[in-house]
Amino acid sequence: MKTFFASLLWLWMSFVIVGAFFYAPVAEKFQVPGSSRIVFFHVPMAWCSFLGFIAAAVWSTMYLFRGNPRHDLAAAVAIKLGMVFGVLATVTGAMWARIEWGAWWNWDPRQTSILASLLFYAAYLALRQSVKDPRLKGRLAAVYALLGLVVTPYLFWVVPRITYSLHPDPVVNTSGKVEMDPRIQHVLYASGLGFAALFFWMHNLQRRIESLAERYAAPWE
Amino acid sequence: MFVKEWRCEFRTRYALNTLALFAFTTLVVVSFSLGPMGVARSQGSTVLPVLLWIILLFSVAAGLPRTFVQEEETQTAMALRLSATPSAIFCGKLLYSLTLVLALEVLVTPAYLIMTSLEVASPWLLAGVLAAGGYGLAVGSTLVAAIIAQASSKGTLFSVLSFPVLLPLLVLTVELTRGATAGDPGGVALPVLLLYDGTLTVAGLMLFPTVWNP
Repeated sequence: MKTFFASLLWLWMSFVIVGAFFYAPVAEKFQVPGSSRIVFFHVPMAWCSFLGFIAAAVWSTMYLFRGNPRHDLAAAVAIKLGMVFGVLATVTGAMWARIEWGAWWNWDPRQTSILASLLFYAAYLALRQSVKDPRLKGRLAAVYALLGLVVTPYLFWVVPRITYSLHPDPVVNTSGKVEMDPRIQHVLYASGLGFAALFFWMHNLQRRIESLAERYAAPWE
Repeated sequence: MFVKEWRCEFRTRYALNTLALFAFTTLVVVSFSLGPMGVARSQGSTVLPVLLWIILLFSVAAGLPRTFVQEEETQTAMALRLSATPSAIFCGKLLYSLTLVLALEVLVTPAYLIMTSLEVASPWLLAGVLAAGGYGLAVGSTLVAAIIAQASSKGTLFSVLSFPVLLPLLVLTVELTRGATAGDPGGVALPVLLLYDGTLTVAGLMLFPTVWNP
């Protein structure tokens, strides 16, 4: 069953890749039209990064209510994967920005907010490392993850709008104003679904690896 | 709770002295290297508000973690847990941090404005931003201080954990301080700042009992 699911995912992602290069048209309004194909991989990565946050917050809440260490581990793994996808989204975004806007980094609101969320993930992992007692660690980390869920909406939606309105920058808006071709939308949503499935598949693998590692690290428990 | 905090503080005057000295030293360094001539007037209103808030942020990070760390170090945390409800403790600590931050701002801001000869077009907006921003700093750092008090390597961890939480706040306050020096009311930024303060307060009140009770 598990191999069936994995091969289905493999097939699905292969279709997405083929679709991204041969089915979807390029966005002609871009400076370099071909560069628009990155949207099928970059945007789902950013979604997955945010998905990691939400999943971690859900598992953290469950941990606070039930106290089951499996939920704590699941939350920690979700944060780690969210960080991986966040770094990938940042790097691919910087590559695209170099081509389209001419600079790797230009403090566009989106870049700023994803950088801040990466800082948050890193802080969460630092907190986990500095507490020895597993129950205390779980509790403090869960509280911090929930605090993160409170703060991130401001980072992602509110603050960019405000700083944007004070500093109008016409370059930023070119990608926001592009009307999407329906075929681009098909591939984008299919890719998003594929990436979400990939996220949970990787999450499951990593969670099992870490629980095995924990068991063998402390055989007396 | 609030009175008890200040009584403890006056016994050692640790946080007060650290905060004031730290802020003043950074202030002197910044204004010495920039000075009235260091930045052109046109750039002044862009650069100087950022430095003011960085001074305030780092002073807060130097002094405020003490509020909970000290309870764990002197092993009075358990007695405190028995004698008061979590929300009373949170509010008391918050009020104490708030007075400390506001005192710091009252001390630092005029000195900063004089030393860098930064002109403020709308002083009332600046006062409002300092009050709201100071409140946000106090709430955020009180909650994070409660978290780190129970972890090891407390000092560095405080900065690491609190900066992502305080980042949206600082972006807003810097924008508004710029607006205040330039005489621009800043639109929706002030309501959003107040909303952020409110959100942090509610989150703090809801999450604090979980952090506090073992």
